[in-house]
Amino acid sequence: MTGTAIVTRSLSKRRGRHKALDGFTLTVPRGAVMGLVGANGAGKTTWMMTVAGFLRPDSGEIDVLGGGPFNAERHGGRLAILPQDSELPLEVSPRAALYRFGRIQGLSRAAACKSVDDALAAVNLGARASAPVRTLSHGMRKRVMVAQCFVGQPEVVLLDEPLNGLDPIEADRLRRFILAQRGRKTVVVSSHNLKDVERLCTHVAFVEQGRVVRVDTLSSITHGTDRAVYRLAAEPTDHASLSAAFPEATLEWRAEERALVCTFAASEGGVAAANRRMLPALLAQTDVISVETGLSLEEAFLSSARTS
Amino acid sequence: MRRSLHRIAQTALWEWSGAIRSRRALVLLLLYLASAVLCMNGTISILGKMEKELAAMLQLPDAGEAGVVSASLWKSKPFNTIVRSVVGESPVLDDISGRHPVELLYAWFVFFCAPLLAVLVAGTRVSEDLRSGAVRYMVVRETRLEWSLGKYAGQSLMVGGALAASAIGAAAVAFCRLPSGTAAALFVPMLNWGLRAWIYSLAWIGLALGLSHLTRSPGRATAYGILAICLCGALPPLMDFLHANADWPAALTQVRMLVPAGAEMSLWRFSAVPLATGSFHLIILGLVYLMAGAAVFDRSDV
Repeated sequence: MTGTAIVTRSLSKRRGRHKALDGFTLTVPRGAVMGLVGANGAGKTTWMMTVAGFLRPDSGEIDVLGGGPFNAERHGGRLAILPQDSELPLEVSPRAALYRFGRIQGLSRAAACKSVDDALAAVNLGARASAPVRTLSHGMRKRVMVAQCFVGQPEVVLLDEPLNGLDPIEADRLRRFILAQRGRKTVVVSSHNLKDVERLCTHVAFVEQGRVVRVDTLSSITHGTDRAVYRLAAEPTDHASLSAAFPEATLEWRAEERALVCTFAASEGGVAAANRRMLPALLAQTDVISVETGLSLEEAFLSSARTS
Repeated sequence: MRRSLHRIAQTALWEWSGAIRSRRALVLLLLYLASAVLCMNGTISILGKMEKELAAMLQLPDAGEAGVVSASLWKSKPFNTIVRSVVGESPVLDDISGRHPVELLYAWFVFFCAPLLAVLVAGTRVSEDLRSGAVRYMVVRETRLEWSLGKYAGQSLMVGGALAASAIGAAAVAFCRLPSGTAAALFVPMLNWGLRAWIYSLAWIGLALGLSHLTRSPGRATAYGILAICLCGALPPLMDFLHANADWPAALTQVRMLVPAGAEMSLWRFSAVPLATGSFHLIILGLVYLMAGAAVFDRSDV
């Protein structure tokens, strides 16, 4: 999959007095799983709702799948969204609701039935598929809402807090399902759980006050190729020998974490090359508990938030 | 175009099944059916009583069946002349004179209830979806106009079903209370009046749904609908009053044609041309109301 799935340029949207989007510029490559990370009210949900055509932007440009702003005639069935705070009709069953959605998207009866069964199986709701939505728990309703995104063959899926409210087992199942979409669909996920974003996404955008302040691949943002963190049993006694082992790197000892942070240029050969040089020198002095590559997404986000 | 019609039809089915499952709509429809049955029963009883008193007063033998005396009176030339002298020459009167009183009372009932039924059943359907956010699952799959038209079609089916059920219910009462020959003769005319009332209700459904597009509060949408019934009901008599007393030009009084009540009497006609033009007028009126609401909705955030 090549090209871009969604392009938004200088998107602005006021909601009351508040500027929910203020020059939101973001390009989502096709086949990527893009994570939107930001504080409450940063503009993630507003952006998704604007891309899906629920909100009319005040200014700016939107291009969805090369067909301009969202238009149900052109994009219906090709773009799916898990909207926030949107209830499914309570009296119908998940199967009936999803079947009708599939039929509206233009699926034949047989294709709609198959697609609904697949989507409900993906969220493990086959057993309660015929019960009215009102009888389902909050988590189950959430799973139905996620399932409706995967009825038919949408090319772009926007998931606003998809794992929120799910139990750990179902959250894990859904995580795996979203991971399986990598390269097959373009998925945009917004979440406050940065560990989820880290596990799911290939690309990450940091959103603050209605605009994207940083967007890149996950490995670039977390310095996955130019940073290694060695968790040690004790502080190394001979720092000079460590510097001599890898003179091109910058070493920083963090006593409270018992971690040695090794930062180097990505051109030095990456973490594998750093390990080859650092580990013998470290093991000569102490035990190495673990090796982590790069920053956690949380650290990267907090560092970005502090600097901006 | 075909795909668009398919989406509208699917939305209508969805709307119809949703409305059936919604307890509120079902309760309203059952109440309507019950009131149609009770009204028919009451009508036959009152008519029978009145005719008995009339027969006793005129020292005539008891006819034994409600409506016989009224039907005979209705068909008699002198009575017709008296009525015409009171209400004036009217093509509607020409068309309905001679019809069975029970049938006409049923017709009055369904036409009287149609606006209220439309507003109470359909009036909240859009605003409820706007409030709950359920609309988002639809407008990401079809255009907003298709969604609105699908809602309209679904609600029209729903109200049509209610009117058909009320006609059958009323006919069942007639079968129990009147001689079978009379009741059988009333069945088709009652269905006919149900169909006419359905056409009339299409304009009201359009109005109720159009107003429902303007608010996320179902309560407010119902209030708008009831207010609209009052205003639309008051407009034709107001126009007549202004024409008669304030010398308003006749052309200006045609403003009444902008409300369903202004075209209602066309549906009481039995001549093909006024009936067809009246029906067309009401259907278009309903669609215009709906489109006006849908146009506002199309520009708004959901």
